[in-house]
Amino acid sequence: MSARHWKRSRTPLRHLPIAAVAALVLAGCSGAPQEKGAAAGGEAPPLVIHAIDAGSFQEDFNPFHLEGVNFGSTGMIYETLEFVNKLKPGESTPWLATKHEWADKGKTLTITLRQGVKWSDGTPFTADDVAFTFDTLKKHPELNTGALDLTGTTVLAPDKVELDFGSTSYAKLYNIVGNRAIVAKHLFEKENPVTFTNPKPVGTGPYVLSAFSSQLYEMKKNPAYWQPGKPVVPTLRFPAYTANAVQSGLQQGEIDWAGAFVPDIDKIYVQGQPETNKYYFPPEGLVSLYLNLTKPAFAKPEVRQAISLAVDRDRIVKVAERDYTTVAHPSGVPMPGGDAYLPPEHKDAEYAVDVAKAKQLLQQSGVNPAELSFTLLVPSPYTDWVNAAQLIREDLAKIGVKVETRGVAFQDWVSKVGKGTYDMTIRGTPGGPTPYSALRTLLDGDLAKPVGTSSSGNYERWKDGETDKLIADYAATDDQAAQEQAVQGLGKIMVEKLPVLPLFYSPAWSQYRTGKYVGWPSEQDPYAMPSPYTSPDAAVVLLHLRPAGT
Amino acid sequence: MRFLARRLGFYLLTAWAAVTLNFLIPRLMPGDPVDLLVARLKGNVDPAAIDAMKRAFGISDAGVWQQYLDYLGNLFHGELGRSITFFPTEVSTIIAGSLPWTVGLVGVATLLSYLVGTFLGVIVAWRRGSWLDGVLPATTFMHAVPYFWVALALVFVFGVTLRWFPVSRAYGLDVMPAFDGPFVSSVLYHAALPAITIVIASMADRILGMRNVMVTTLGEDYVVMAEAKGLTSRRVMWAYAARNAILPNITSFALSLGFVVGGSVLTEIVFSYPGIGSMLLKGVENEDFPLMQGIFLVISLAVLAANLLADLAYVVLDPRTRQEA
Repeated sequence: MSARHWKRSRTPLRHLPIAAVAALVLAGCSGAPQEKGAAAGGEAPPLVIHAIDAGSFQEDFNPFHLEGVNFGSTGMIYETLEFVNKLKPGESTPWLATKHEWADKGKTLTITLRQGVKWSDGTPFTADDVAFTFDTLKKHPELNTGALDLTGTTVLAPDKVELDFGSTSYAKLYNIVGNRAIVAKHLFEKENPVTFTNPKPVGTGPYVLSAFSSQLYEMKKNPAYWQPGKPVVPTLRFPAYTANAVQSGLQQGEIDWAGAFVPDIDKIYVQGQPETNKYYFPPEGLVSLYLNLTKPAFAKPEVRQAISLAVDRDRIVKVAERDYTTVAHPSGVPMPGGDAYLPPEHKDAEYAVDVAKAKQLLQQSGVNPAELSFTLLVPSPYTDWVNAAQLIREDLAKIGVKVETRGVAFQDWVSKVGKGTYDMTIRGTPGGPTPYSALRTLLDGDLAKPVGTSSSGNYERWKDGETDKLIADYAATDDQAAQEQAVQGLGKIMVEKLPVLPLFYSPAWSQYRTGKYVGWPSEQDPYAMPSPYTSPDAAVVLLHLRPAGT
Repeated sequence: MRFLARRLGFYLLTAWAAVTLNFLIPRLMPGDPVDLLVARLKGNVDPAAIDAMKRAFGISDAGVWQQYLDYLGNLFHGELGRSITFFPTEVSTIIAGSLPWTVGLVGVATLLSYLVGTFLGVIVAWRRGSWLDGVLPATTFMHAVPYFWVALALVFVFGVTLRWFPVSRAYGLDVMPAFDGPFVSSVLYHAALPAITIVIASMADRILGMRNVMVTTLGEDYVVMAEAKGLTSRRVMWAYAARNAILPNITSFALSLGFVVGGSVLTEIVFSYPGIGSMLLKGVENEDFPLMQGIFLVISLAVLAANLLADLAYVVLDPRTRQEA
């Protein structure tokens, strides 16, 4: 460096930050990050999965935990007794159990287990493990998220176990066999299951945990898995993606399977390659317009009818929901899939806007038009619902119902809707193994608490003897035809009495690329919920995958 | 010594107030964590199981006074409780896992911006009237632009468009945490862009602040005296002018050190950086009292500690504070 040059840069420090950055960049390059992670030597490539938005992971693989537990604990590592397909209500596949039998009017369930299944540490899986899992729920009521009324368990044989309940539990079948992961007694009996974080999980499932850091965890295939030749995908990678990062991850193609809401999916994700960058958003729940029935105006059926006639649901789905979903069936039964549960007389019911009839009904109701002024409460982080609320406000203005939409913080909204201190709101109801779950959450008189006390369902506070009888009828039988009939009755009440006004189905999000693997669930073959965040469905999807081009 | 004792007493009082507010504020938020959990969990909870879950999370209906005493007692034993969002992981584990990222990134960036900014401020003041004054409008501009805007602009240009830098995470997915070359370089590579945004956004303040005080100081008699004695201009600039001008900047530095822990929320959100700011956001979203309380506690204590350090630095740098009043 010449002296002259040195002199010219008398203030060399002005360049310091840039020099420092250059050094950092060089340091980074020497590490040669290859995020694509293409496998060498012809081995099948890993699958990169985004399940939920998380900035970082905590080391928790205890399937008794609801939140905090890392995704994949149930399904990939721990398995359930059966697989219940929510997209085909009534369809169930034997899994760790080969069959179940009710006795004593739904108070006793005998489960026969699959033989030859082993925990990933080599210990055989037996009825002791199943009994231990359910005993744990009894011993620690705070883990009993399925609200099972367990009174005891009996091991009848190494492959047979009996569960006893204090009350008729037919309707809880899904909570027993469908979503309860079975844990290994010989490992869990030494721990407190409430606080145990299970960093080294040992399960019966198709994968074992192979690496964990707060930014990424990895699962490798369980070589001794009981389903021969499966799984085909050798490695699963779960990087931590925040809501921002997942969008760019999809855009740059580093994620193979995501369960994300993508605002402009054609531009951000499909990118002109609909053959490989696919998505499938089947209905997972029901989003409805709630009218607080403790308000005198909404207690009148004519007013509810008028409001339902005025709301243009097609426009809401198109404008606010970007056509990612469909308008709900007026019975609230998810379609397609729920055909058997539709009330026969309303099978072809459809929503149609009729402003004239709506106005006429309002007149008949005898409500003073000056009283038809309400606040529509929506959680402001849910921008699509905020848009839908605006559209509803416009629609209702046409029939003389004044609506002020108000977006509030999520917490505030949950609290107000739970306590019933609102006029109108939009809220989703989760689906379940059959349409009964959602309809019960919507309508069960037992769930409605007085205004001011937090309810866990029936936020509109619908009280109706016939409804409660149908709900009890369903729960009292194991006969599928009788259960369908009870749900049909509930659907009829939905259509005719309008306790809540269904709007559209809330979609399950699933974006998947067919570049590495094919065999994903689709509208033509809905064999499981396609979202990577749904357990144990996601494991069922993984077991269906095969390399692309085969 | 009395000065220090008085300060320490003051800090203890402040710490108690912070701890108490820390207890009260989350409880003033509307809603209940379990109701929120149910709203978020999409039907994985049977409505009938909610009471059981409230018990699991330790949400008691005990009186506020009892809860406060329990809280103080646990705090005294160093127990921050278990997070609700990441139940049953302990809050202390979560903080231990995320704090190093924040302190590493924001701490280093703040220190860098302080050193470089102060240095530039001295130079710009010393050479006032030269072309260097042109730096001032630029710094005023940077001072006025909101931080997240700068960060997003840089992310867009250098991360998304040019792809020179990663736009999220603290390290690449191809490395696992270990004290080895690939991991360390991956961490540095991922920290570069967020660090640059912090330096750029905060350096303007330092340059302006230092320059303004320095210009005033340069008009003092003792500086003129020093120049008249024929001391080298370097000596006058650093030992006479800068040493006196730096005092206000030390205060602001100490304050910003305290805010390193808490003030990085925006950076961490923009860059999906797994630090304490992201955790705080998560805690607020999920109404996770124990997590929020733990993080607020760490933030308050950090601010207090930084202030104490500033006081001590003053004692060293400014002889006047050492005199007994």
